[in-house]
Amino acid sequence: MQPSSISQQQAASQQGWSGRRRSWPFTWALVLILISSTPALTQENPLALKGGKLLTITHGIIENGVIVMQGGKIIAIGTASSVKIPSGAQIIDATGMTIYPGLIDSETQLGLTEISAENMTNDLVEASDEIMPHMHTAEAFHAESALIPVARLNGITNAVVAPIDEDTLPGQDCFIQLAGANASEMLLIRDNAMPLNFTGEERRNKGGFDKRKFPSTRMGLASQLRQAFIDAEDYRAKWVDYDGKKTDAAQNKKPEPLAPKRDLKLEALIPYLEGKKTIVLAAETPSDLQTAVSLANEFKLKFVLNHIAHSQSVLDYVASLEVPVIVGPIYEAPKEYERYDAVYSLPAQLYKRGVKIVFASYSAHNVRNLPDQAGFATAFGLPYDEALKAITLNAAEVWGVADQLGSLDVGKTANVVVANGDPLDVKTDVQRVFIQGRAIPMTSRQTQLRDEYSK
Amino acid sequence: MRRIPTKKLALRCTLLCTILVAAAFSQSAPSPPTEVVIKNATVMTVTHGNIKNGTVYIKDGKIVAVGENVSAPSSATVIDAEGKYLTPGIVDCHSHIALDDDVNEATSPVTPQMMMKDAFDYQDKAIYRALAGGVTTSLLLHGSANMIGGQAVVIKHKYGATRDEMLFPNAPGSIKFASGENPKRVYGSRDQLPSTRMGNFAVQRQALVEAQDYMREWDNYNEKVKRRDKDATPPKHDLKLEALADVLRGKLMVQIHIYRADEMLTEIALAKEFGYKIRAFHHALEAYKVSDQIAANNIGIATFADWWGFKQEAWDAIPWNATMAMRKGVRVAIKSDSEDYTRRLNQEAAKTIRYGGATEEEALKMITLNPAWIIGVDDHVGSIDVGKDADLVIWDGYPLSTTGVPEKVLIDGDVYFDRARAGFGTTHYKEGE
Repeated sequence: MQPSSISQQQAASQQGWSGRRRSWPFTWALVLILISSTPALTQENPLALKGGKLLTITHGIIENGVIVMQGGKIIAIGTASSVKIPSGAQIIDATGMTIYPGLIDSETQLGLTEISAENMTNDLVEASDEIMPHMHTAEAFHAESALIPVARLNGITNAVVAPIDEDTLPGQDCFIQLAGANASEMLLIRDNAMPLNFTGEERRNKGGFDKRKFPSTRMGLASQLRQAFIDAEDYRAKWVDYDGKKTDAAQNKKPEPLAPKRDLKLEALIPYLEGKKTIVLAAETPSDLQTAVSLANEFKLKFVLNHIAHSQSVLDYVASLEVPVIVGPIYEAPKEYERYDAVYSLPAQLYKRGVKIVFASYSAHNVRNLPDQAGFATAFGLPYDEALKAITLNAAEVWGVADQLGSLDVGKTANVVVANGDPLDVKTDVQRVFIQGRAIPMTSRQTQLRDEYSK
Repeated sequence: MRRIPTKKLALRCTLLCTILVAAAFSQSAPSPPTEVVIKNATVMTVTHGNIKNGTVYIKDGKIVAVGENVSAPSSATVIDAEGKYLTPGIVDCHSHIALDDDVNEATSPVTPQMMMKDAFDYQDKAIYRALAGGVTTSLLLHGSANMIGGQAVVIKHKYGATRDEMLFPNAPGSIKFASGENPKRVYGSRDQLPSTRMGNFAVQRQALVEAQDYMREWDNYNEKVKRRDKDATPPKHDLKLEALADVLRGKLMVQIHIYRADEMLTEIALAKEFGYKIRAFHHALEAYKVSDQIAANNIGIATFADWWGFKQEAWDAIPWNATMAMRKGVRVAIKSDSEDYTRRLNQEAAKTIRYGGATEEEALKMITLNPAWIIGVDDHVGSIDVGKDADLVIWDGYPLSTTGVPEKVLIDGDVYFDRARAGFGTTHYKEGE
């Protein structure tokens, strides 16, 4: 019924980033290309990491463990004595190291920006209108972004790429892997979810009455959203009717009916109306949260919650919704009336109520610091294992990829991180990263600069 | 990047809220500091190593003894810090909190007569949130819209005290200079000078030339007065030029917002041309490219741990900047420039251990003694040494980690923050209890 509108992503990704005012030597540009685009991910020979402490996520910690990867998958995991390493395997000594699954960042702008202040490098949001569900971040995703190697050097192997929250419906997310020969290989799921933002930040032209454009109030935002979903329902009905008539015509040799006019905006909303895809419902305060949830329920949308940084007074209500929460960031400033740790302790408060939580950096340049947020939450009551799950298995579950990602289990994608300590501590240095079983070069534009000026 | 709308937050503070805050502030002046003993802590002195099971004895707001065996009178208040860490209070040498958005007088590229003290909003909750993160002293700077901004104010985070009690006593003066993208963007967008880096430096040089003339006029006048010349007439007082003359006289420390290495070299050359000293390069994300020159001129840097890519001139930023510069002899501070990051500068400092292998003491120094030097208050704060102000943080958990958090924060020997307390955890500020 709705033909896929995604095609030209290759063309977009092959566009080199331009707009720099400073020129680098040509060699630098070449280095950048070499380190950002990784060759196709094929892993033929088995590779074993031996002697490390394995944080499996699903079945506890294995001291002095062995993990074997082949064909891009984990093929064996266990204690050194229980796992037989296949002959011909490359063995890497990981004694003293901590090994854990690749981390998953549940909201980033990776591939949508290079330099924040340089607009020609930004594809963060189409701000010309509020209702933009036909925007696909996958089509702007810049696979060769210099930011991607920087993030993956700290063990982030997968991420949701979302537009920023300046529209109520800014477009659709994609779920990426932070390595691959090109955008196609890195885009694991296109249009996996869609943000619906209701934080008050989406109001147009806040300020003087003379400057305002619709919608300039929350009631404006809500009515516009409601109209969009009603229009999409009508649109869907038209196509269902058409499909019925078409089948009838074919069966009864009648003339083919005239197809309704396609509307990309409304078309994009249909999988969400049908509950086939997830809405990422963002709100901060109890009032916005409840308005947003009412709207979502009115159209029976399947949703997860996002932010809710200032909804501490309604956490039981949040728990009653029985949906996961992308929480925070916990660095969000408290309101004037809130204690300094009101947001720091939110993950723990949600966990206590049985809510599944995940973390997000909500960033592009700072994706590498995702684990810090999880670690910091433990200082305010979140159990350590839950903090780690919130950037691994929980995230994989929320994004529907738990059969492939989020833990060290046989059969899963071999996204494996080797570090010199606790993954949630800010001092820990990641030594090796494997994505689909392939060793990622531990270089980025930043390490190149470091090495250049260390000579 | 998700924008945290702090400006709006401040503006949305209702009238009611303002009244409540005002009431809370007027109710409670800090009690005078008494004798305090902090016992059984791992004392991280910054200057002379760690002391396990150490004791710090505080009298009249000053540290009077530090060591394993310290005798103190039984009348002293005892804080048992067993299993905890004790560090000096964190010093943030680049902050714009508590100014109610009055950060930039962006109406002229040269505004040295601006006094940040005049905008100091001592009731700003950001002071409290930073305090809860272990910050006890901050340098509140003018913004970077102007090539020559205003004069900074040094505060102690005595949240709940009066405005004047929060000013750091006798702190030396600092003035903010800027460079690079910000001035050229602000004035260039209005089709004014400066719109380029050559414009930037021309504006700076012109202002300094005028200050030289002004200083000469006054020197001549003073000379005449000394000679009892009856014809001596005083030149006109000009606040702007007076402030710049103080730069030339070495009375104001110059703190320069700067990113690129080439601009650092130009600023060093300008300082030599006009005979003043640069105290520190702030941001200084390309310091690693010219560390030798920075070190040779005894200029400190106040940098981010790992920020990058937010603008073109931050594109070559690398997280090894701090440690690479440090190893070339540069005095390095990690600062926040942020209402957010100032709440967890300990974590930012810990990143220098990961990126470049700073030692524990080196990392801690970057948020205590070194920023104190940049502000010019290192004789008073920044380490746990006898004679210094008793600005101390008791940490629950190792401070150079993601999980270490302040349990109590003392300023001048008085507890201003206690995590275990109800409400805001503040002792002198009572709202919310």
